[in-house]
Amino acid sequence: MSVRDRMLERVREAVRDREAAEHPGAFEGWRSTAALHPVDGLVQLLEAAGGEVVRQPDVAAATAWLASFCVDFESSAVGETVPDALRPPLPLGAPDTAPLGVSRARGAVAETGSLILDARDGRRAQLLVPTHVVFVHTRGVYATLREALIDLADDLPSAIGFHSGPSKSADIGQILVKGVHGPGRLVAVLIDGGD
Amino acid sequence: MSFTGPGNYRQEAAKTIRDKPEVRTSITAATRTFDAHRVQAWGQIDADRWRDWARDVKSHVLGHLDEYLEQAEERLTANGAQVHWAETAADALAILGDIVREHGVESAVKAKSMLSEELGVNRHLESLGVHVRETDLGEYIIQLLDQPPSHIVGPAIHLSVDDCRRLFHEKLGTPLDAEPDELAGAARDALRAEFLAADLGISGGNFLAADTGTVALIENEGNIRLSTSLPRVHVALVGIEKLVPKLEDVSGLLQLTARSATGQPIGNFVSLIQGPRKSDEVDGPDEVHVVLVDNGRTKLLADDVAWEALRCVRCGACLNICPVYRQTGGHAYGWPYSGPIGAIIAPGMLGLEEAMPLPFASSLCGACTDVCPVRIPIPELLVHWREKAAEQGLTPPTETLGLKAYAKLAQSPELFAAAGSVLRRMPLELGGRALPVLGGWMQERSAPKSSKKSFLRMWKEGIE
Repeated sequence: MSVRDRMLERVREAVRDREAAEHPGAFEGWRSTAALHPVDGLVQLLEAAGGEVVRQPDVAAATAWLASFCVDFESSAVGETVPDALRPPLPLGAPDTAPLGVSRARGAVAETGSLILDARDGRRAQLLVPTHVVFVHTRGVYATLREALIDLADDLPSAIGFHSGPSKSADIGQILVKGVHGPGRLVAVLIDGGD
Repeated sequence: MSFTGPGNYRQEAAKTIRDKPEVRTSITAATRTFDAHRVQAWGQIDADRWRDWARDVKSHVLGHLDEYLEQAEERLTANGAQVHWAETAADALAILGDIVREHGVESAVKAKSMLSEELGVNRHLESLGVHVRETDLGEYIIQLLDQPPSHIVGPAIHLSVDDCRRLFHEKLGTPLDAEPDELAGAARDALRAEFLAADLGISGGNFLAADTGTVALIENEGNIRLSTSLPRVHVALVGIEKLVPKLEDVSGLLQLTARSATGQPIGNFVSLIQGPRKSDEVDGPDEVHVVLVDNGRTKLLADDVAWEALRCVRCGACLNICPVYRQTGGHAYGWPYSGPIGAIIAPGMLGLEEAMPLPFASSLCGACTDVCPVRIPIPELLVHWREKAAEQGLTPPTETLGLKAYAKLAQSPELFAAAGSVLRRMPLELGGRALPVLGGWMQERSAPKSSKKSFLRMWKEGIE
């Protein structure tokens, strides 16, 4: 018998005479306080977690914002799925040396304040840069994590990353520090209109 | 320095309290902060309903574990990941060894994984000539100090900022008065180079969704995302109890784990990993291996009472609230899982004799079960193991004799009255110490003065 079959047999043997519990059904995120409008909830949690939030009415306004934001940077690493209008007007840099990374999120989650980053956008530009700008359309904001996961399950890349704030740690004497490994600065740009 | 087993708990705990009083200060401060954050985070939700739900999902999985394991294997394989089965730590290490040899691995970066501590991954890889680097900041610190973790979530909470300053000064050349930001920056630089050079990334897994074959990981630093994204090979070590039926179920468990561990709505980074890089992706590992590990878990699952401990999501809330854990931190427990949860899974996973005296390292106050997000009845399980220990003759013979004698006395009114009369006349300082069960207890406590009359006599005469 293979190790696999032996392990499965041990599992079956262990619970043979025990009545198994029913699955309790969907997780509904029961709250003691009323939930905010999803976009407001997203903004509140991202900021509470140490992220920065910028809101733009449409793509053209976001393009203009990006141009002014980029003056402080010399180069940037850019995600594969970032549309031309949202590519920074900067020389392209490698993710491990560029001071700025720009990604497009597949959506966001209000309940947890998370930006949904797809591996197809390229992981290194999401992780190695000290400052990470993420564009997301507000119509892609899910109210709950469960709704997001149900949708994602239909089209999963090799990996999804939920980014809900900058990289942080309190492992040195319980004192909070930012930018330990991943981006120490997370800027979420919420775009209301256009595509 | 590594763990030597729970057997020396009493001596190690005493030694920590006596020789390193600052550990108790650090641990107590950190765990109180963790717990205060949990209280606040639970206050924003209907925590009772979340906990009922989480308990039921995990119990459901544990009752159908064979089916979910098979489903997860099938889905992971379809995703292009390679699934391995490890009955023992030796199996798991052999699987890792094969991967190391096949890929000519020279260096590995590790994301924090309690299972890897349990299996002894670092020592094994080093014996194969692999340079292993812990990348979680806390794990990195204790790796530099050659210490094991002292807490499930905060492995270095027993250390002060000054401890870290001295260490980083010695190892990384930072000034002795450097602030935490500067220390973290030095660690970032040192570790970044290792991330970029590593051939292999090793992680654990918080959850494994069977319907999509997804390994879910939660963290705040980003080192897990890096460890699972940069090296060409990623190995996820996953205990078989981590299975979850559906990816959508992970939504509740991730949030409840974060709220219970650190009081956050979720960790700042979550990874959902299905398999290796696909053809339309520019980066990510070429191979993903998922090692499903038993190593004592089915033994615990087979125990009709203690199996409930396998619901644990490793949030550390029971450690944070535990008045016993707070005195010493985790090192005294002698194996990676400390505090109340460690004391109830050790007997099942290691064997009761090996786990002694951990089921006794508790006052049975019950605070742990009040904060457990998956409602593990921890005090009941502690008592369960204590009963088994007494049955198997693993408790001190004096205790068994003392309790037997008491049972005899308590069943006979005449004998009970006579014994009471003797004890009342004996100075309790002496009498207490002479009694087998009270001896140790009396060393730390002064006795009350005994009454001249017995309770029975006062009762008969009428109590005002």
